[in-house]
Amino acid sequence: MIEHGPLLERLLAGDFICAVSDDNAYRHLANEETREAIDAYLRPLNRRLASNEDASVYFLAWRQLNDTAREQLSRQLADTVNSLLPMLEWLQLVQEALGRDALAAPGDVLKPAEFSAKCEDNQSLRERLERLATDNFFGSQSDQLDAQVKQIFKRLKEHGYLMQPHSERQVFVVTGKMDYLVDVVRFIRDEENLPIDADEDTGTQEALL
Amino acid sequence: MSRRENSALGNGVGSGVSELESRLLKTGAERLALLGKHAERLMQAYTRDDVPLEGLSDGALRKLLAARVLWRPDEQSGVKLSPKVRDLIAEMLADETRRHVNADVAETLELIRTQVDSYREARSKGEHWRQEQQLLRLRQEVDGLNGRFADAIDSLWQRLNSDFGFVSQLNDKIRENDRAQKQIVRLLDGLALIDFDELIALVGSDGSLRKLLISQLQNRLSHHYTSLREVQRRLIELMARFRKQQARSRLMTGMAAFLREHPGFVPGNYAQRSEVPALFNRAAPLNPAAAPALDHALDTRVLAELLHELPAPRHAAQNVAVANPVQPAEESLAAARQQALKLDVERFYLAVLDQPPAEPVSALAYLQQSGLEWADEIWLFQVIAEYQGLPRSEQQAFRLQQEESKASAFNDLRLIHDVALAVAV
Repeated sequence: MIEHGPLLERLLAGDFICAVSDDNAYRHLANEETREAIDAYLRPLNRRLASNEDASVYFLAWRQLNDTAREQLSRQLADTVNSLLPMLEWLQLVQEALGRDALAAPGDVLKPAEFSAKCEDNQSLRERLERLATDNFFGSQSDQLDAQVKQIFKRLKEHGYLMQPHSERQVFVVTGKMDYLVDVVRFIRDEENLPIDADEDTGTQEALL
Repeated sequence: MSRRENSALGNGVGSGVSELESRLLKTGAERLALLGKHAERLMQAYTRDDVPLEGLSDGALRKLLAARVLWRPDEQSGVKLSPKVRDLIAEMLADETRRHVNADVAETLELIRTQVDSYREARSKGEHWRQEQQLLRLRQEVDGLNGRFADAIDSLWQRLNSDFGFVSQLNDKIRENDRAQKQIVRLLDGLALIDFDELIALVGSDGSLRKLLISQLQNRLSHHYTSLREVQRRLIELMARFRKQQARSRLMTGMAAFLREHPGFVPGNYAQRSEVPALFNRAAPLNPAAAPALDHALDTRVLAELLHELPAPRHAAQNVAVANPVQPAEESLAAARQQALKLDVERFYLAVLDQPPAEPVSALAYLQQSGLEWADEIWLFQVIAEYQGLPRSEQQAFRLQQEESKASAFNDLRLIHDVALAVAV
């Protein structure tokens, strides 16, 4: 268990562990025995190891749900729901500004400077960025573009969607928590029967194989 | 005698052949040179539909047409680059948007059969030179077949390794991937046409044919087959990734549009269900804290060392002589009042905490009861400001209700008369 000390600390602190945020720990978690050992350790803390469906991110869940836990989960859910639109708009903005062919996915590299430069040149992107930065979720107080972008990246890092491999370099990598966000959106769509385009049929590729 | 005749005949044929060969060489070199001479014009033609004819002499055009570098599909249309030259340029540039994959195996096999027959005939007649020529052409044909497979596989790998980077849209990538997969199926079908049992029967006992058409060909084709299967597997994997990305994009874009159209949308409270969905069961963060403890003799020494290593606090020397007598400035008086207001409001918040949960306390009522002398408006402002200034986690512990009304029937401006604060349940 000693070797997993730092990993346990990160998990207990509420971090999401994925191949980007902590490759080494993530590989350890792929081992069922390690997962069982961690679960046993977490038992007295009323926590257990959980993952999303693809097992691309791990986090801690309550083992027993009591009233306090449910209350905390309700508040957390409200936070997540409040963060949805700003997160989705940010994802779209990044995709459009950087001219990418897909939404930012785990492992993608993002540079605030590049993003700023693209938004600076384009009035409509600039306005959307401004609106987004001053949204409560990102909470920028500045009217300077660079400061706004910096604040957005800072908040995304705090929320675990981005990680910064070198603290002195302004280069960020998208983490597996983005997968979690996608799963949350998919869940809400299915659960609430929202009129949003269904997934492409995934059967065709398997048929080809 | 017959031998002499034969050799004379051989010589005669030989000199005729070398004459033919030298003529071929000469014309070929001249025509290849045309490519270099008109390189820029041909590249212009490559990037657009027609060959630009300005400044091209009739003679030069005739030569280019005779060399089949250019062709004219019909009298009305312009002059175009011939498909073969277009393919050649695409190959040279590894231009994946235009590179063709073409391994017409059936025709090659037909040709090989005919050539093997000619070769056999020449051998049985003892025509060594013709035999040599046939073997050379057979070798070229086999090399050509190999080359076409190798080129096609190379082109497929290039496209795969660049993630179809030559097209920028995901939908185009999906289409290109689909096209590449179809090409592979055609190439595999082509490979399947080559029946080695038939080839073995065809070559019989001839050593050089056997080496060329059986062992070498089989070796290379099995190599191509493995490569094609590998590319196919990787293409299918990549396609699955593309499709996943596409589905993801659609989902996220769709949800963003939905939320923009329905700003008040709130999903069900999944946390209160008997079975909380796994995705939403995220335990509260826990910070393992530790403090220095002196109950272990060994640790005491370490702690003492740490204490010694602490940088000494630096106090700047204060110059008493220049100190000014206390004279609160206007600003600091205002600041003191602001501070007093803030403290009173904090006491109000504490008073609310003492109330039973969910029982709202009116801010104005509290102001009157407590005998504080703040103006109503200032008091309400500060109560609201305090609420907004709370960290999110503490904010959730309270519920702030505003008692408000419209300014008039035609003015949607909201006037706040009072606020009520309650502990959230």
